[in-house]
Amino acid sequence: MNAPADVPLAAARFTGERVPRKEDRRLLTGHGAYVDDVTMAGMVHGMFVRSPIARGRIVAIDVEAARALPGVRAVYTAADLDRHPAKLTGLYGSAESKFPDIWPLAKEDVRHVGDPVAIVLADDRYVAEDGAALVVVEYDDADAVVTIDDAATGAIVHPDLDTNVALMIATPEDPGLEAVFAGAAHVVTGTITHQRQAHVPMETRGIVAALQGSGEMLIHASCQSPHMVARYMDLAFAMPDLHFRVIAKDVGGAFGLKVQPWREEVAIVAAALLIGRPVKWIEDRLENLTASNQAREQDVTVRLAFDADATLLAADIDYRCNLGAYPHGADPNSLAMVMFPGPYKLPRYKFRAQGFYSNTAGQAAYRGPWAMESLARETLLEKAARQIGIDAVELRRRNLITAADQPHTMLTGFVIDRVTPRETLDKLVAHLDTPAFRAEQAAARAAGRYLGLGFAVYVEPTTMAFGGILSSDVADIRIEPTGKVTLTVSTHSQGHGTETTMAQLVADTLGVDIEDVSVMEDDSSRGGFGPGAGGSRQAVSGGGATLIASGKLADKIRAIAAHVLNASPDTISLAGGKVLVAGVAEMTTTVKEIAEIAYYQTERLPEGMEAGLEARHRYRPPPVVYSNAAHACTVEVDVETGMVKILRWVTCEDCGPMINPAVVEGQIAGGVVQGIGGVLYEQISYDARGNPTAVTFKDYLIPTAHDVPELEFLHIATPSASEGGFKGVGEGGAIVGPPTLVNAIADALAPFGADCLTLPLSPPRVLAEIGTRD
Amino acid sequence: MKAAPFDYVVADSVEGAVEALADHAGDAALLAGGQTLVPLLALRMAMPGVLIDINRIDGLAGIARSGGATRIGATTRQNTILHDPLVARHVPALARATGFVGHHQTRNRGTIGGSLGLAEPAAEYPATALALGARIEARSPSATREIAIEDYFLGPYTTALDMDEMITAAIFPDWPEDTIHIVHEVARRPGDFALVGLVAAFAVEGGVFTRAGIGWFGMGPTPMKSARAEAALIGQPAATVDLAGIARLAIEDTDPMSDIHADAAYRRTVGARIFERIVGDAIGQRKAA
Repeated sequence: MNAPADVPLAAARFTGERVPRKEDRRLLTGHGAYVDDVTMAGMVHGMFVRSPIARGRIVAIDVEAARALPGVRAVYTAADLDRHPAKLTGLYGSAESKFPDIWPLAKEDVRHVGDPVAIVLADDRYVAEDGAALVVVEYDDADAVVTIDDAATGAIVHPDLDTNVALMIATPEDPGLEAVFAGAAHVVTGTITHQRQAHVPMETRGIVAALQGSGEMLIHASCQSPHMVARYMDLAFAMPDLHFRVIAKDVGGAFGLKVQPWREEVAIVAAALLIGRPVKWIEDRLENLTASNQAREQDVTVRLAFDADATLLAADIDYRCNLGAYPHGADPNSLAMVMFPGPYKLPRYKFRAQGFYSNTAGQAAYRGPWAMESLARETLLEKAARQIGIDAVELRRRNLITAADQPHTMLTGFVIDRVTPRETLDKLVAHLDTPAFRAEQAAARAAGRYLGLGFAVYVEPTTMAFGGILSSDVADIRIEPTGKVTLTVSTHSQGHGTETTMAQLVADTLGVDIEDVSVMEDDSSRGGFGPGAGGSRQAVSGGGATLIASGKLADKIRAIAAHVLNASPDTISLAGGKVLVAGVAEMTTTVKEIAEIAYYQTERLPEGMEAGLEARHRYRPPPVVYSNAAHACTVEVDVETGMVKILRWVTCEDCGPMINPAVVEGQIAGGVVQGIGGVLYEQISYDARGNPTAVTFKDYLIPTAHDVPELEFLHIATPSASEGGFKGVGEGGAIVGPPTLVNAIADALAPFGADCLTLPLSPPRVLAEIGTRD
Repeated sequence: MKAAPFDYVVADSVEGAVEALADHAGDAALLAGGQTLVPLLALRMAMPGVLIDINRIDGLAGIARSGGATRIGATTRQNTILHDPLVARHVPALARATGFVGHHQTRNRGTIGGSLGLAEPAAEYPATALALGARIEARSPSATREIAIEDYFLGPYTTALDMDEMITAAIFPDWPEDTIHIVHEVARRPGDFALVGLVAAFAVEGGVFTRAGIGWFGMGPTPMKSARAEAALIGQPAATVDLAGIARLAIEDTDPMSDIHADAAYRRTVGARIFERIVGDAIGQRKAA
């Protein structure tokens, strides 16, 4: 790796290396501990009765036949759950947002297909489903509000609001803007439309809730942070004498869907309170594809103005998104508006963004929730290059900020620093051999084959500790009397590898073997609050907390050793589980011996020193830590069928010094694959009545190993201002991946004048783009 | 996604299976490989009262030659067919079509009888049987009969099988030795149902088409046969035949539907294109050889 010398990790043995993940043996051999592995005495299984219509009034609910079915233990409706009223709150949005009252189960009306109306609790899931089929709900059906256009003109989705617009945000009027466009040498316009996607984690949502005695609600949940779930439930139920303890061991993917509990999880907790027995609910794939919150479904109309030298003069964007009925927040993607200028010098910028409610599944954050900024900007920049007649890389070079421009204050107020958009692009281009590709492309075109090369460059705000729940993380570290190390940290892994990366940091700081470090991040009753995964922040925030806490402990070990060995603390170093005194080999002792002194021979400690080997640090990262990347890919488009084959994909990112390059590359690859899914395959669609039409994996197509190329990774490592210099990298592939692929396809189809701005670029869509359908 | 309650019966003979079918007329389903049925049960899109497991019936699986035809027993697994030398030699189109059926894992369980019994319009086997003029061997408590493939597919997932009747084998009559076999499909991802699928067999003697079978999948409410194009080819010289015209004619006999993956116009456009190119290539290759 390219770790610069100023990374404060002396004698790194693990940090920066491709250390095999500690969790992989467990996960790959089927020994992970997921929520569905939890079983408890007396546990019942929940199944939701869900609305089959998108919009309508509930006239009557008859649960008697279901209650009478042998094996059914209870059937609850909203009226029953109201004995422990729990109101759902949103994570995203502002004080001006219009957010409806949201309850775990539908009350007077249903607002999307899949809206939960009742819960059946039974001895097993089979009987629960049998019981659910016996619940008779009579609806007064109404016309559904499905699309953004429906929402803009149709009926009001939430009767307690007076509009379907959850929030509109916009820049102030700019009277001079039109003159800039009127005087521009080149004006480029386009509307890019991104379809709705589902998160489809391999493990669906799930929860087990069990009242322990009278005061503790024990929850096992598939989530992104046990602390977040505990906090959320506490706020939702507001029961002063009820304490929530949340355990989340292994989680098989989340991607934003599980950043907070939602209606079903809250309903199951309420049901556990009512029935007085443990209750389990494991979302099945049908529920996951129809009733779980979803993502994207956005369109944005862009105007860009350039001068004669292809220098950006102004941008004007108008953004809309479909928030569905019950989104996790009422926000029209304000971060996308803030980030649209990206790593470019943009002197003038106007935006307007609106989020609309509709009778569809609600929206949730999805890996790079603001990704539309990069998709819109990078696709329109390449359209501009084609229109102006200049190379797309050259156009970017003329407009990208460079090292000399930093710190760079975007028009939207964010200050970008320590990023390398120009350097990553240059390294990528050098690796690609663009001239060779262009020659191959020309030869192929002459033979009737269409190859394309696309680029995308972006800068990503990671960590986002500028206030609110993402502000800090905490690490508690102790060396046991046995010499083993236990780190309890407020990170959480749904596949992120924090069990390994945090252990790498600890092992190097304390000079111990990575095998001797256990990382605990699975229990809200241990350690302290942290938001867990989300916002590409765990290496920065959790890693910073871990580094500092480990450093405090290393200092204590040195202080004790110095005292017992009568040496100066700065002559003492830690390596290989040993405590070494410079130049005096015979004085070498071990961490284990120091631990024994700290716990068992406290009289040998320096005067006034606290016994034990324990340290804690709550770390406040810089407000925003920027990472960046440039990607390129090449494709061949079959103009006979509209099928796209990805030939090559090269990435060059700068996420600062890498704790574990294999984990970094895994994160990038995962994001790119989801981006490929978004561009080519995945589509949650609804018919005009609001019925979902892709409800199984037969119809909701995700990329498989067949569809994904081997990725080529290049790295640049510029330290950030955070402890360790780390930058977030979890979401980037999903942000910069889609425009990279769209641009490659548009480049392949340039002879047809295709823009390829309507996703997904399915085979029929591609044929429509090139206009060759019979 | 848990199945509704059902009774489970293991049949140890074909007679026993069809008697059970008759006993529960209309409320029973046969369980062969289960690669479609089990998901349908889990989704409660199928809720039979009785599941009759035919996997343990001796002799129901197997591939044999008889009377100028290849007989493939109903519970023969798709992966067996994929690697079987008799199929490779005598029914190469079926072997090639099998490579497109699902994935390796599903082919280990999926059976030919199950696929033909389900009659999925976008699946490979029904269209292959239709193109090659196969016969469906079926048994009821009272009789055994062979159903000509042209009379077998009645509608979407609907066949000529009676309520108390089960498939015991598919019989593929031999085509002439030098027949050109074509299997091609356009699918979103390997293993997906086809957006457009083509199975064809062409016998050419003295440079002239003497026999043609053209079947489509994903191109209508059932597997579709281009009877007019087949007839139009007979007597035409392979070297100069107007393939664009034949392709148009072949597509006219399809009736594709629009769904979330492709509209009907796409299927017609691409169907005609692949027909013209693939058949052209096949004839060209034959000429070169």
